[in-house]
Amino acid sequence: MNDNQSEASGAKLSGADATNDLRLVAARKRLAESRGQEDAIEGLREIVANFLGSEEIGLLRVDQTTASLQVFWSFGIDPEKYDLLLALGAAGLERVMGGECHVELAARDHSGAMAKVQAFVPIRSANQTIAILAILRLLPQKHGFDGSDMELFKLLSDEAAMPLFGATTHAKPAADGTGMRA
Amino acid sequence: MAKKILVVDDSKTALMMEREILEKRTNYQCVTASDGQEAVEKAQQELPDLVLMDVVMPRMNGFEACKMMRQQASTREIPIVLITTRGEESYMEAGFQSGCNDYITKPIDGAELVALLQSYLGE
Repeated sequence: MNDNQSEASGAKLSGADATNDLRLVAARKRLAESRGQEDAIEGLREIVANFLGSEEIGLLRVDQTTASLQVFWSFGIDPEKYDLLLALGAAGLERVMGGECHVELAARDHSGAMAKVQAFVPIRSANQTIAILAILRLLPQKHGFDGSDMELFKLLSDEAAMPLFGATTHAKPAADGTGMRA
Repeated sequence: MAKKILVVDDSKTALMMEREILEKRTNYQCVTASDGQEAVEKAQQELPDLVLMDVVMPRMNGFEACKMMRQQASTREIPIVLITTRGEESYMEAGFQSGCNDYITKPIDGAELVALLQSYLGE
């Protein structure tokens, strides 16, 4: 992603691509400058709210020893009432654990109503999914995810583990099928 | 002389993005504040050409800050653009009643923001 940084540091930019580059630069900078876990979580919330258009977010932590998932943090939802794993589903879980992003274009939200879009993003460290970011109901003015959102998902997948959990993100290039796919 | 914009947001991420857009895509000068109270103080000190302000903030929200700026002679005429995640008509109406000139919703589209700012400040 250094290309984005170098582009953004150049002359005056214009167009949607440039806006996306600036968004990626700001997200990366916010994560990198986080002061501890609490601030990193707040940064994640800000990135999702400001750039992806959702204020209903959950973070599931993968327990590698028991191979189970637990709600680590949530915002805008009641995790007691809203089963994030049920929302993700078995097929989605398999994809996300394998390193792919899982986006549903129509799904039921926690009230049982049809939500337009929800996304589950693997947070990766050393070629393993160590957490899952759940982005649930979108703001009314945000109608779906596009290619630039996928780039932001990839950035979060690749770079959020260290600020959130102090986990190394050094990993081999995605030769093991860890590429993102909507 | 470069036109000056006061950007107000309690979110560091939003502030970074808005700064990046202004610095990379315009010639405007940017000063920042992180809540409504600081915004009112900075507006009086800096006398910006425009205020770009989030609504939901600690200490003093954007609506209250907007009202206060409208009550002060030195800041009464400064154009104020509010930014928020909420796009409902009633919420926008509350924004205009507080005295703002314009209203945009998040997620921010950089091109849309620049066009809006240029409509007030020129290029």
